Amino acid sequence: MNTQYAIEFKHVSKIYSLKSKDKKNANDKRFYALKDINFKIPVGEVVGILGTNGSGKSTMSIILAGISEVDEGEMVVNGEQALIAINTGLNQQLTGLENIELKGALLGLSKKRIKEITDGVIEFAEIGDFLYQPVKKYSSGMKSRLGFSINLCLDPDILIVDEALSVGDKGFAQKCIDKMTELKNEGKTIIFISHSLPQVRDFCDTAMWIEGGMLKEYGDIDTVCDHYAEYVDYYNKLSNADKKKERDDKFEKRIIPHKHKNFFERIFD
Amino acid sequence: MFKSMKYVLHENFTNLYRIYSISKYELLADMRDSKLGLFWNFANPVIQVLTYWFVFGVILEKKGVNGIPYIYWMLGGMVVWFFISPCITNGCNAIFSKVNVITKMKFPVSILPATVVAKELFNHCCLMLILFVLFILAGYYPNIYWLGLIYYLSCAAIFSISLSMTTSVLNMMARDTRKLVLACMRLLLYLTPILWNIPSKLPKMIKMILKANPIYYIVQGYRDCFFFHKGIWAYHNYMLVFWLITFVLFAFGSFMMYKFKHKFIDMI
Repeated sequence: MNTQYAIEFKHVSKIYSLKSKDKKNANDKRFYALKDINFKIPVGEVVGILGTNGSGKSTMSIILAGISEVDEGEMVVNGEQALIAINTGLNQQLTGLENIELKGALLGLSKKRIKEITDGVIEFAEIGDFLYQPVKKYSSGMKSRLGFSINLCLDPDILIVDEALSVGDKGFAQKCIDKMTELKNEGKTIIFISHSLPQVRDFCDTAMWIEGGMLKEYGDIDTVCDHYAEYVDYYNKLSNADKKKERDDKFEKRIIPHKHKNFFERIFD
Repeated sequence: MFKSMKYVLHENFTNLYRIYSISKYELLADMRDSKLGLFWNFANPVIQVLTYWFVFGVILEKKGVNGIPYIYWMLGGMVVWFFISPCITNGCNAIFSKVNVITKMKFPVSILPATVVAKELFNHCCLMLILFVLFILAGYYPNIYWLGLIYYLSCAAIFSISLSMTTSVLNMMARDTRKLVLACMRLLLYLTPILWNIPSKLPKMIKMILKANPIYYIVQGYRDCFFFHKGIWAYHNYMLVFWLITFVLFAFGSFMMYKFKHKFIDMI
């Protein structure tokens, strides 16, 4: 075990099965959501993960957070990781305050710890008197601010932020960046998943570019961002037919043939 | 096998506060849902009881059992059915209804059946209080045997959790499970001797099968505590069968939980 790395991926693959077009064909296909990914993230590094839609970023985030298991390879994590996603566990009928308590409990905090973070959350979320209103009356911005604030106050070793800043106004996004910078200075490892190149460039030290389920590049922030931007430009310039061809090529590489297992085999294998 | 049971038990006992909080806020949210809130938790069973009493007690003129008027005899058993029935139907949905939680954070999935049961436990305690008042007014005074209710209540809770372990995992693999369970509940109500007493003229074999029903053991136990006062040990044969069935269910349920603990997210 090497403790200078926060997260280590060794030949990690994640496989989903796809239903085939016609039902008679029993041979369903399997699909690499992630294929043979290797990297090591040092402790205290801020990594941005870039990639087009469907490249496996979200799969990556749930694997990093320990929610989903890898199918092949191995993931070594040193420390407690937390996925920051918005709107989870918020109950529409409950008030903001009750939601803070509920979400704290869902995350497995003790009663004492929940009390401790409550003030911080209230202050950070800036929801004022709405705290005592049911969440169903909140605007969508307020909801995400509340959800985000609870997560940020948790203080894990490794933070995984999945497109969370795309909601909320500029002011709140800046506040979140500031808070994350604070966490960064405390030596936390942060993994920042985003479509927004400027945000990634501003905030991250290194970047990782995933394309078609495979790790394309991992390294210095500017180099990777430039290459990614070039690729996006190149892709956008293609004619529609070429785009489709490019997509199909990528898709083809991720397919593996697979025999369909029935219900009982799934239980007992 | 034992590894998975140990895992499930450990997860449940280290997360007691989590179970408590989840069920508490679920209950709160449920009450906020409707204007009358808690009222429906009582109105629903009362209306059902009145229906059964009207059909069986008044129209079919069912006689009381061993000198206990039919309405009280039925209430004594029915009250625990009002606990078990929602536990089984909601327990089946325990994991699926929390999909937005388990896909977004690391979460001990095996505590979910327990949260459902904990929530229903609160409703049950409220119903029991009303029933106590009713029985005292009718002249059935509390005595030492009523303490047996605590034992039978924990039997019901453990049985429901064990069953929900299995059904909730199966429900994640195929949503048909819930439909099947819902359809079977009505059947179960009439197959379990809750609304009727087992007639003595039935063949021995059928009687045995009816009495081996774990829910019957609990219903019978409740009635014994209220009216017959034979004590817990008087039913040691059924007790053995009950715990055997519960153990098998729990073992299978925790085996499934353990096996699929990280796979739920891919089953949605």
